[in-house]
Amino acid sequence: MSSNRPTLAREPATRTPPAVHPAPVPAEADGARADALLEVSGLTKRYGEVQALGGFDLTVRPGEIVGLVGHNGAGKTTFVDVVSGLIRPDEGTVLIAGRPPVPHRHLIGVSPQHIALYPSVTVREHLKLFGGLAGLRRRALRSAVEELAEDLRLTAFLDRPAGLLSGGQQRRTQAGVALIHRPRLLLLDEPTAGADPETRQALLETVRGRAAEGAAVVYTTHYLTELTELEATLAVAKAGRVVARGTAAELLADLSGEVVLEFADGEEIRRSTTDPTGTLMRLLAETTHTVTSVDVRKPDLDDLYRSLAMLGEVPAAGPPEGEAP
Amino acid sequence: MSTITAPVLRTGLLVRHNLMLRLRDPSQIISYVAMPIVLMMVLKPLYVEALDSGTVQAVTGPMVMFSVFALSIVGNSIMVEREWRTWDRLRVTRAGRTELLLGKTLPAFLILLFQQSVVLGVGCAVLGLELPDVPGLLVLAIAIWGFTLLCLGSALATVARSRGDLSVVSDLGAIGVSALGGALVPVSLMPGWAQAIAPISPGYWAMSLIQAALAGDGAAMVRPGLVCLAIGLAFGTFATYRLARGWGRSRLL
Repeated sequence: MSSNRPTLAREPATRTPPAVHPAPVPAEADGARADALLEVSGLTKRYGEVQALGGFDLTVRPGEIVGLVGHNGAGKTTFVDVVSGLIRPDEGTVLIAGRPPVPHRHLIGVSPQHIALYPSVTVREHLKLFGGLAGLRRRALRSAVEELAEDLRLTAFLDRPAGLLSGGQQRRTQAGVALIHRPRLLLLDEPTAGADPETRQALLETVRGRAAEGAAVVYTTHYLTELTELEATLAVAKAGRVVARGTAAELLADLSGEVVLEFADGEEIRRSTTDPTGTLMRLLAETTHTVTSVDVRKPDLDDLYRSLAMLGEVPAAGPPEGEAP
Repeated sequence: MSTITAPVLRTGLLVRHNLMLRLRDPSQIISYVAMPIVLMMVLKPLYVEALDSGTVQAVTGPMVMFSVFALSIVGNSIMVEREWRTWDRLRVTRAGRTELLLGKTLPAFLILLFQQSVVLGVGCAVLGLELPDVPGLLVLAIAIWGFTLLCLGSALATVARSRGDLSVVSDLGAIGVSALGGALVPVSLMPGWAQAIAPISPGYWAMSLIQAALAGDGAAMVRPGLVCLAIGLAFGTFATYRLARGWGRSRLL
């Protein structure tokens, strides 16, 4: 688990999810970097006028799952492409186990965002090809294929061409190609996009298992519930850099909830607060009107996702907290 | 595993994989083997009537023409990797650039050799084409021309924006290259302007190379062989550059 603290700041909110201050990601302690499997610092990448990465920093340790979240265009896929050695950054460094990635690709397993399979090639042939390219041979390769197929619930489809698989089965095969050689660093770019619950469950269980064995995992997704299931650390990407980091629970703790009081005369007051209970009690103590209803709303994952999207933007001004009519 | 064995094993895996991909979709190969055979059987009487070397022209003309059409086999084998997004998938494996390129192109090269060999074989067996005393020269000529086609097809596939682009370039190129090169009508019978520009066509050099090989004239093979190799190297270098770096994310495919 990361030693980073969440960097969300308190901010008043209306009915819309609470805004948060953009804040720099705290630097890792030197001791924490020493055992990092993936260490990325200062990555920049520009495509013409588009700044895809603008100083991207991320450190992942063995056994850690980092959920990389952010809206489309935040730089997640470019980051994965750079780390996997597919594209060169304009600036910055990528170290995998302390070394540059390209000569050490055997340490990496990549599941790209889009399905990338050969339609006429069976699941077994895919796994054998990529396992073989990673250095697995004969019995080790056969047992790796059987074991992984079981983990990903693909055993019944091993001899079916990828082009005849369902979308979920293709997703699992795609992940299998990344997992077959038990890489020390897993880069999974939206591995469950459009997947059915069975696929999602199989993938999450397998990823969790690999992390428990010591693999470092970077998992990009738009589904925060998956990251809470994986007990992942969240790294929030926006405009090509990481703007916040922490567990979902830590980030939620810093988000504002909302307290709504309705009065007999039809008036109502709304207050955003990180302490809904305390705020409610204070409002009730201060008011002289007859309260007809009370609604206390705690922030949930949807609020968190929307608030993450607002990181780096100037938050809208909200009403001051706590003053009752 | 030793530093030599591992790359060889990986290259072998890739060659087998790519050969399997081609053989599971064999329609193009069948087409480009069958069509020249039909054409040369139909055209032989005409060529024999018109030319002293009619049988040679009847076999080598369609062979060169349809070997250029077979550029699309090479092109498609690369184009599908773009469509399926699998090339980048291979690039993040342990396999190096050389291994990936050999694995991709060697099967296509073998298919080109197979196509030309079958057509020549049928030419010998059915049309009475005489093989030279030194068959090694013919093998060398076919290999050089196959290399040139491989490099041309690979380069085309890396710049074509779609399968339609590739198809148009392959078809127009095949007609242009083979017509100008003397595959349909011998260069000596073509109009003056066409004779003047014939050497710009790789097909011209291919016809010269293969006909010299069939005549067993090694000295006459040198110049066309070098020109074909130079064309191949130029386009091959470009294709290697593109394939090694991928296509980026701004392409249509």
